Amino acid sequence: MKLLTCPMNGTRPLSEFVFGGEYRQAPDQDTCTDAQWAAFVHNRSGAPGDKKEWWYHSPSGTWFIAERNTLTDKVTSTYLLGQKDTTQEAGK
Amino acid sequence: MQQFDVKSIIQTSPVAHAQPRDSAKWEVINSMDTAVQFASAAIEDARKKVLGVADVSCLARYGVKGPNATQWLLERGIAIPTTPNSWTMCEQKTLVLRLGSSEFLIEDQLGGSACSRLASDTNRVASVYKVPRADAAFIVSGSEALNLLSELCSLDLREKSLAAKDLIMTQVAGISATVIRQTLNGEPVYRIWCDGTYGPYMWEVLIEIATELGGGAVGLVQYQSS
Repeated sequence: MKLLTCPMNGTRPLSEFVFGGEYRQAPDQDTCTDAQWAAFVHNRSGAPGDKKEWWYHSPSGTWFIAERNTLTDKVTSTYLLGQKDTTQEAGK
Repeated sequence: MQQFDVKSIIQTSPVAHAQPRDSAKWEVINSMDTAVQFASAAIEDARKKVLGVADVSCLARYGVKGPNATQWLLERGIAIPTTPNSWTMCEQKTLVLRLGSSEFLIEDQLGGSACSRLASDTNRVASVYKVPRADAAFIVSGSEALNLLSELCSLDLREKSLAAKDLIMTQVAGISATVIRQTLNGEPVYRIWCDGTYGPYMWEVLIEIATELGGGAVGLVQYQSS
């Protein structure tokens, strides 16, 4: 059984979670060019590697960030957005 | 056009569609039509010792969240669990579940009045938001309760893993549910809440396994009294 650690609820089976897509910072819409905005809206990097991703723990309604290597599927840390200092190491 | 007073409408338990209309005894509790007895007291007592499942959806609930929810509840005399994912009893008759850092579910047991008191306070306060609740709620007890839960839930719910005041939000029978362990009348029981629309499904799953293990449905008066 695959496990993932929710920063609020602890380690749970992956079946309790929903993948929410890669976490990406939007460019400043007031100052960016149309090309930059279009790239943000339409382009995704599919290259495997370390990614920040949104995950959702559905029984509690908790959205959080997981840092995951999409090549090895190893999750290195999970934390609430903006609270990386309180990171819980995945699997502990 | 005929006018209806919504306060006078009798609701039906969200679990009712899965319960026998003819063989069970039904009563209106907290304005909700609820099955309160499924068999003779002796049979229900025997079921309860092995594996009893009761529908307690009719208990009054009040949900509230927001950055000021903790303060708002404290000002109204509600005892608050100190950490998220924990629960406490308030005035012996009210369960207070802390579902997150700033979200709470208050549930009056039979005879409790905190929910109606909170609901009657209609003054709007900044950063305090009422959360409408429509839960199906169950009590599971008996010597086989853990065996039932181990079939339905992937977490270890034994006493050494689920501490006395812990609350967990996980999946039970594949659907999102909130679970606590509580001592009622000296007897350890598990309390389960899930969305009301899943109530009949959850009831059927619980009763199917309970029956296999030698238990079955019991009325809520086996656990609660006003």
